[in-house]
Amino acid sequence: MEALQERFLAANTQVLGVSIDSIYCHLNWAMSLGGISFPLLADFHPKGAAAVAYGLYLEDAGITDRATVIIDADGVVRHVSSVTPSGKRDIAELAALCEEVNEAHENTLKSFPDPPGLEADTVLFVRSNCMFSTNAVAALGNLHIDTIPVRNVSEDPAALADLEALAAKGQAPCLVVGNSAMHEAADIMKYFADRTTDIGG
Amino acid sequence: MIAIGENAPDFTLKDQFGRDITLGQFKGRRHVMLLFYPLDFTPT
Repeated sequence: MEALQERFLAANTQVLGVSIDSIYCHLNWAMSLGGISFPLLADFHPKGAAAVAYGLYLEDAGITDRATVIIDADGVVRHVSSVTPSGKRDIAELAALCEEVNEAHENTLKSFPDPPGLEADTVLFVRSNCMFSTNAVAALGNLHIDTIPVRNVSEDPAALADLEALAAKGQAPCLVVGNSAMHEAADIMKYFADRTTDIGG
Repeated sequence: MIAIGENAPDFTLKDQFGRDITLGQFKGRRHVMLLFYPLDFTPT
């Protein structure tokens, strides 16, 4: 799926996955697939509300249908199809449909500003057996970021000493960028995504 | 099921990184393909 993203982006199409799972379930599932950088949306609270709005929530089963909706840049639905929950999508066919939609719009679209990227002196400190640390590392994996050091303070006393020197408390996870330290996993995950993908703004 | 030619209902949902993603943020910039699926850990 991740490799196909490029073909969709070449057709100026943003892929968004939608299910009723939570963001943490999405984060870990995406890692098991080798990392997914396009948004997997949590249609979680109230459960299935977006699927209901598109007429794709299967009330009896309490799940969302396996269905695809293509919306053009004017916000108009151009394609909708279901393969039923147990079916399989034809991704090549969907890519061709997106290319067709794009032909009518190609010259009128504005691009997103380029993301700023990560600072050179960014370091992520993590701890073993810590869900928040795991989530921060999973965010890195999903975004395919392998350029920043990840240091484990549970296993490496030098890492702990460095963290205590850089941040007032030796608490991990901690993202250190220059002189500033970020401790909340939720902030760290958002920071990585905003810095490296262009759809944040 | 929503019909072709209708205006797509807007939504704001959190992605796996905790960001709020709104359909409207793509208007005039990108087309959007929504992949609805029953549950994680099933094929997309």
